[in-house]
Amino acid sequence: MAPSSPSNALLSATNDPPIPAENAAVSLSRVTRVFGVTPALVRVDLEVPRGEVLLVRGPNGAGKSTLLAVLATALSPTYGSGAVLGFPLDRGRDEIRRRTELIGHATRLYEDLSGRENLRFWARLTGADDARVDAALEIVGLGAAADDRVRGYSQGMRQRVAVARATLREPDLLLLDEPYAGLDDEAKEAVDGLVARTAARGATVVLATHDPTRGGAAGRTLYMDAGRIVPDPTGGVRR
Amino acid sequence: MTLVRQVGMIAAKDLRIEVRGRHAFGTILPFAATLLVAFGLSIGPGRTLLQQTAPGLLWLAMLFASVLAFRRSYESEGEDGALEGLLLAPIDKAAVFLGKAAAVALQLVVLWVALLLLVAALFDVSLGGDAGVVVAACLLGTIGLAAVGSLFGVLTESPRAREAVVPLLVLPLAVPVLLSGVKATSLALAGLGSQASGWLGLLVAFDVVFLSAGTLVFEHLLED
Repeated sequence: MAPSSPSNALLSATNDPPIPAENAAVSLSRVTRVFGVTPALVRVDLEVPRGEVLLVRGPNGAGKSTLLAVLATALSPTYGSGAVLGFPLDRGRDEIRRRTELIGHATRLYEDLSGRENLRFWARLTGADDARVDAALEIVGLGAAADDRVRGYSQGMRQRVAVARATLREPDLLLLDEPYAGLDDEAKEAVDGLVARTAARGATVVLATHDPTRGGAAGRTLYMDAGRIVPDPTGGVRR
Repeated sequence: MTLVRQVGMIAAKDLRIEVRGRHAFGTILPFAATLLVAFGLSIGPGRTLLQQTAPGLLWLAMLFASVLAFRRSYESEGEDGALEGLLLAPIDKAAVFLGKAAAVALQLVVLWVALLLLVAALFDVSLGGDAGVVVAACLLGTIGLAAVGSLFGVLTESPRAREAVVPLLVLPLAVPVLLSGVKATSLALAGLGSQASGWLGLLVAFDVVFLSAGTLVFEHLLED
């Protein structure tokens, strides 16, 4: 159960009308993240309403991955505050983690376990239904290689297992950081399917990708550069 | 999900990876055996001197070999960012520490059996007299070493850490284990096992301190 939220609406960084705090999946206020002396996020204000599919675009080093890592609570903000799914980033990590799934650059697989063993381990650890493992592997087209060790998988196959892992649970917030990298068209479709299914059940999706052919399901696009949210550099000519 | 079940899942996963990779038997055991032989050769052929130094050499070989086991335990977590997965999993982070410590401890127990047999053969040492005290010292020392190694092994996955961080932190902290283990084993091999209770007590205290500390602070080492 979400903690009581402040009744005042939180201000949005964009020109959109403010979102009541209780309806916000993500609410960041002047969040800054610094690595050593290098800022990766600079005073980011962001509001994402529940159920939205948000596309995040920007060049390498723009801060997209750091933003998603902060939302997943893998990284803490150096300054600023925020809440995810109604839980504060600093005190609500456990609650956020129960409700969030991050697919990042690293696929977080154990090389000496098979794809099936990896998924079973994560399913048991996260309280997901063990019986969904086989179906998840079939969805991403890895049924035949499920018992092979991950060490022998290509990068695309590893990414497919990561996508399959995200289907084991039904997170309220799905965070995808360059999920199409190294994937063939069939696997990209599997990622799109995951985004579509997640959005269809009313959950929130934040998708960071360079791939200009993807992200069609997004209701809004956020542009980042040098750790800041910036206006649409294309002037709306292309997404 | 209970903490015990989470610990069991982490330990089972680590042991499965170890069995698949055969790191303990393929690398750590030959390393420890080589150390023992090298120590023995450096001391010379004197039978009495070999028997007197056997406990110290045994524990030194075990200590150095255990550092490899700690390193390996976290290597599998760092290969593809799996440690971040454990961080983000909705589990008690103490389970990660205790699970990894349990898995390492089981590997070290296997290593103890092999090294004790090797010492008995190479140094002509009889383990029969106060074998219970030797076994107790080895088990208690194993728990302590596994606790220290699993606590600080996670630092090797820090972006700013270097591989040397584990031996630099673990070896000095493990001195009480080394000292107590050597003393208790020496007394037992001399047939004076009844006098080893103080040293065994020190090992128990060390285990309690580091298991408690690890359970309490591991989350802070794991978190950003």
